[in-house]
Amino acid sequence: MSDVALKQAADQTTPSVINLKKVLGPAHVWALGVGIVLVGEFMGWNFSVGKGGAYGSLIACWVVGLLYTCVAMIDSEITSTVAAAGGQYAQAKHTTGPLMAFNVGLYLVMAYTMLEAADVLVIGDLVTMGAEELGRPGVDPHPFVFFMVAALAFLNYRGVFMALSVNFLITAVAFVSIIILWVGVHPFSPGEITQHAEMLAIQPLPELSNVPGLPYGWMGVLASFQFGIWYYLGIEGTCQAAEEVRSAGRSLPLGTMTGMITLLIAAALTWWICAGMLPWDYLGQALAPLYDASKMSGSTFLHVLLWVATVFSATASANGCINDASRAWFSMGRDRYLPQWFSAVHPKYRTPYRSILFLIPIAVAFGFTGLLAQTITFSILSGLLGYTFMPINVMKFRRKWPLGTIKRGYVHPGHPIPAIVLFILCVATLFAVFLGFGAQLLAMMMFYILASIWFVFHRYKYVRRGDQFTMAWPRPRGY
Amino acid sequence: MDFWDILQYAAWIAAGLLVLWMVLDAIRVSKHFSEDVLTSSQEGIDELAVQQEQHRNGR
Amino acid sequence: MAKAKYQPPKQGVVGQIIDALLVLIAVFLALWVPLVFNLAGASTRTILPAGVTQETAADGTVTFTGATWENLGQNATMQKQWEALGYDVNSAAALITQWFDYSFNWSMLLLTAAVIIGYFLFLLVYSDKEYKEVIAEKFDR
Repeated sequence: MSDVALKQAADQTTPSVINLKKVLGPAHVWALGVGIVLVGEFMGWNFSVGKGGAYGSLIACWVVGLLYTCVAMIDSEITSTVAAAGGQYAQAKHTTGPLMAFNVGLYLVMAYTMLEAADVLVIGDLVTMGAEELGRPGVDPHPFVFFMVAALAFLNYRGVFMALSVNFLITAVAFVSIIILWVGVHPFSPGEITQHAEMLAIQPLPELSNVPGLPYGWMGVLASFQFGIWYYLGIEGTCQAAEEVRSAGRSLPLGTMTGMITLLIAAALTWWICAGMLPWDYLGQALAPLYDASKMSGSTFLHVLLWVATVFSATASANGCINDASRAWFSMGRDRYLPQWFSAVHPKYRTPYRSILFLIPIAVAFGFTGLLAQTITFSILSGLLGYTFMPINVMKFRRKWPLGTIKRGYVHPGHPIPAIVLFILCVATLFAVFLGFGAQLLAMMMFYILASIWFVFHRYKYVRRGDQFTMAWPRPRGY
Repeated sequence: MDFWDILQYAAWIAAGLLVLWMVLDAIRVSKHFSEDVLTSSQEGIDELAVQQEQHRNGR
Repeated sequence: MAKAKYQPPKQGVVGQIIDALLVLIAVFLALWVPLVFNLAGASTRTILPAGVTQETAADGTVTFTGATWENLGQNATMQKQWEALGYDVNSAAALITQWFDYSFNWSMLLLTAAVIIGYFLFLLVYSDKEYKEVIAEKFDR
């Protein structure tokens, strides 16, 4: 924008209040939710195969699918009522209290920024791989990592509508390509391309397991929950769009639920394709398993399509992550949980532009490490702490404002069963992370504990007390 | 220097330019608008509510 | 009983910058330190089938002597898929003989559990205290 145009904009309207722009519909919500997650089918989920074998991964896919269905139900109810950009952060502020909210906000920012780093890391590696297949080894992934972060940050900086419309398009292409690949490997004539019967006949080592098909026995199934999370991580990010959606009470539950269904379909197809074509020892450490499967299919069309789709899915995910992480950071700045400077909204593009800028170096730095499984684990851990909070969140929400006391856009059925199921699954998954990445789990907890102490003793004094409670609700029961 | 070398340099430069543009734009915006206006957004208050408020206040 | 509304101090630009930098540094420390010092990642071990030996050459290449598809537990179909992926017995053996080690010690588990439970309890109790103040200021005035 030129100086003159800016000056004009400043002179004519001089709005006294600049808010985020309300322009999104249910399709954007779907694109934000699925866009962030779908990359999980193209890379990352397969580490769960390494942890517990192909069947272990499938069980994890279902069990963790249940975990996320609970998350989506609970989230939909609360967020259809608390329509604010912070998503779960704003929910925590209203149901539980400031310190919890601060931590939830940090979980969101960490989970999304690390996921973004993992996405761009994969894009860099894919460019290197693609160049190698075209006969040019040794291409450096770093410039492409940096370019991807910069380009997506730029897109987000210039407006949410465009950013999420692009996301809708590339997410749809990536999703359809999974279906095309599935059709391309002739699902109705087993043994032709996919060889499930023979590939899944894993003979475990007697000292590790006595369950046929499960190389690590049931312990491995539990361990694979850690990366089973990756099939769905980020679907709850739809909440971050709450302040920019036209009718939040309707669009958010609709977009989240359809997104969850899309992911369950995509996860099932992905497992089926890969488990039938790739030896589990290979699959368990592969960078881009669906892409490998497309190469194995022998079709050049599928090969090229899946390269493009993998890049698209990672792009969509990084794009959605920039959107979500910056909204969470922005919201915390607005309440002064973080420096207020971050709560600026761009007068022309109406985006939280300073938050978007600030998070660029973190994503680039971790994208440069090249350590995919570890970066993913950071993201999973922060996400998981957030899910552990969800049952507490909904219990408090229902207790403080029982049904009928405030208008809810959506009421999830069966309360408190989803909350209890979710809580049990979170504990199991935390144990799985402990098994694989115990040291990181502790390092991460130290970070959150130190951050909490910093918040309590230093930061909270800058926060206005009553003003944090922004919803026009009656007084909570019992307070 | 082959195509891939050029592509790598192009990616570095393009990324640098995009970041530079955003930083410059952010600085320009800060110069033209007061901090109070930029950080005026409020949670739970959307445009409609603001307009109604202004209408009531006779603006 | 309406208490006076809490008026937070205004934070200057320098303070804001320091706080932002502090957060940034804390993030990098928490996330980078385990990566850099190689604390991250699951522990693995190599389990060789009977009759297979492993040698690491000076340049780091690993060779498995005596490895066959059969003793690595791969059937004919798996063998075909490995070869389609560009692996031979030797390079596949490097992946196949790597196993995660799920043994853990109970004191570590208890410590981790205590840290997580303690952390959440602290958050909930302290948040509730702050929450009461928020509600009082919001609804009592």
